[in-house]
Amino acid sequence: MSKDFFCEVVSKTMLNEDTALIEFLCPEIAEAAMPGQFVNVTCSNFLRRPFGIASADKEKGTFKVGVKIIGEGTEEIASFDEGEGTWVLGPLGNGFDTSVSDKFILVGGGTGVFPINFLYEELTKAGKSVKAVQGFRDKSQIIMNKPEYLLTTDAGDAGLKGNCCDGLNTLSEDDIKDATILCVGPMPMMRAVSAWAESKGLNCYVSLEQRMACGIGICLVCVCKIKAEEEGVPFEHKRCCKDGPVFDSKEVIW
Amino acid sequence: MSERLFVRVGDTFLKSPLILASGTCNMGRELSEIYDLSILGGLSSKGLTIKPRAGNEGVRVAECTAGMLNSVGLQNPGVEHFIKHDLDFMNTLDTGVIVNVAGHSTEDYIDMVKTLDPHKDKIDALEINLSCPNVKEGCMSIGSDAGQVKKIVSELRKLTDLPLWIKLTPNVTSISTMALAAQEGGADAVVLINTMLGMAVDIKTRRPVLHNNTGGYSGPAIKPVAIRMVSECYQVLDIPIIGCGGISDAKDVLEFMIAGAAAVEIGTASLVIPDAPVFITDELEAWCEENDTDLASLTGTLKLW
Repeated sequence: MSKDFFCEVVSKTMLNEDTALIEFLCPEIAEAAMPGQFVNVTCSNFLRRPFGIASADKEKGTFKVGVKIIGEGTEEIASFDEGEGTWVLGPLGNGFDTSVSDKFILVGGGTGVFPINFLYEELTKAGKSVKAVQGFRDKSQIIMNKPEYLLTTDAGDAGLKGNCCDGLNTLSEDDIKDATILCVGPMPMMRAVSAWAESKGLNCYVSLEQRMACGIGICLVCVCKIKAEEEGVPFEHKRCCKDGPVFDSKEVIW
Repeated sequence: MSERLFVRVGDTFLKSPLILASGTCNMGRELSEIYDLSILGGLSSKGLTIKPRAGNEGVRVAECTAGMLNSVGLQNPGVEHFIKHDLDFMNTLDTGVIVNVAGHSTEDYIDMVKTLDPHKDKIDALEINLSCPNVKEGCMSIGSDAGQVKKIVSELRKLTDLPLWIKLTPNVTSISTMALAAQEGGADAVVLINTMLGMAVDIKTRRPVLHNNTGGYSGPAIKPVAIRMVSECYQVLDIPIIGCGGISDAKDVLEFMIAGAAAVEIGTASLVIPDAPVFITDELEAWCEENDTDLASLTGTLKLW
């Protein structure tokens, strides 16, 4: 069945000067979307642009994505106004398996704050125990933050001075006991959070990102290095888009 | 399906001229979840080698004007794995099963064909990849030497009765010389063209975007080059040509066929619009109705100035 839908923009909010939160109307994607999944959005440039889903409202039939402007394609998509539309392929990839635990600590940074938002909404709705830590460079970069989150900034001009791991270190033994860590953010952050989780003996899942083309697993350009099951094979190249983007952090070769 | 879409590539009958190009459809599983692949004339597997290959590391894709560069580097599970896990699946798709054969040396290609020939009941054609630009040895370096093309094709010809379709590289001075060499070696058809060797530069880091430095350029940008090569080869070849390069709509298919293609491959279009062949099929059927003709009779009807 085709997963390609023409989606109309029903709202757009600029979160800061280079990041937009766009709400698309598409009951099919809203109904099927799971936190950690993404959509591949058509623009005037040749390839589509992938975005993690930031929330989904099944009743309204809408879903949101965060668009950080980094080039021509994202600039065009961020410029879409209400009433405009484009083709969106989704939902794609494997989301986070939230059945693995009843207690989660979410860690977000960069554009990872969008899927973290979706996770937080769905996990609290499901009545699970959730804590969240988000890290930003400085106060001006803070987006998608909630009062319930533990906020950190490298500059120290808002929240706790330091990075996400410094934030995690302020949690109590009770907070972290038996928790599962779900992390989405820049690679160095995910690597550091994975190491932190391992040091505490906690399970950790991360959402990997690579330059992508098709988004559906047919072109093999967006691969990441994952430990191989077969003995004697150093690693396997797995597709971020189809085999991921969510992987068990213990399987990732950083 | 309208019978007006039936075409022939030598002795191979296809219910449509549309074949999914190797490397842009994996083994068919992912796209079969999106649309019914039985509308296609065929599907060409991911390029296979004797041993599994992890492919190239680092960034493998760079978007370019009307297309993209890739440097996947023939990542594949190896031919034995393919035979065990994928070949039967491809046979459930009710479409032509084309197996794309790659290698680093003449011996590799010989081993590949020897390995695949016992499964010939499940294979409609072998597409011999003498054109991948993203590996250090074999493939394009063989396909850009007419002597080697003729030698390798004639070696493989002795090993199998399966149709041998030779996929050639455009990165040569004279494509018709290579196509003629393939024909002299005993090829059943040539596939024109694989990707064009290219490079993209990151102006901030002053490094190539691709960690392999170069990659294969595909997409609508290369279509005119491909059509010129199809036309040039059609004028000198006796064997059929399968056209490939930037096809994204029915008009593109018609252009290729008029220039001399008996069938065509759709590649990069699937990466942007996965079900593009569904629309193209509908458009081709409508065109045949409107013009009261079949597609096969179009091949090579180009009237040069």
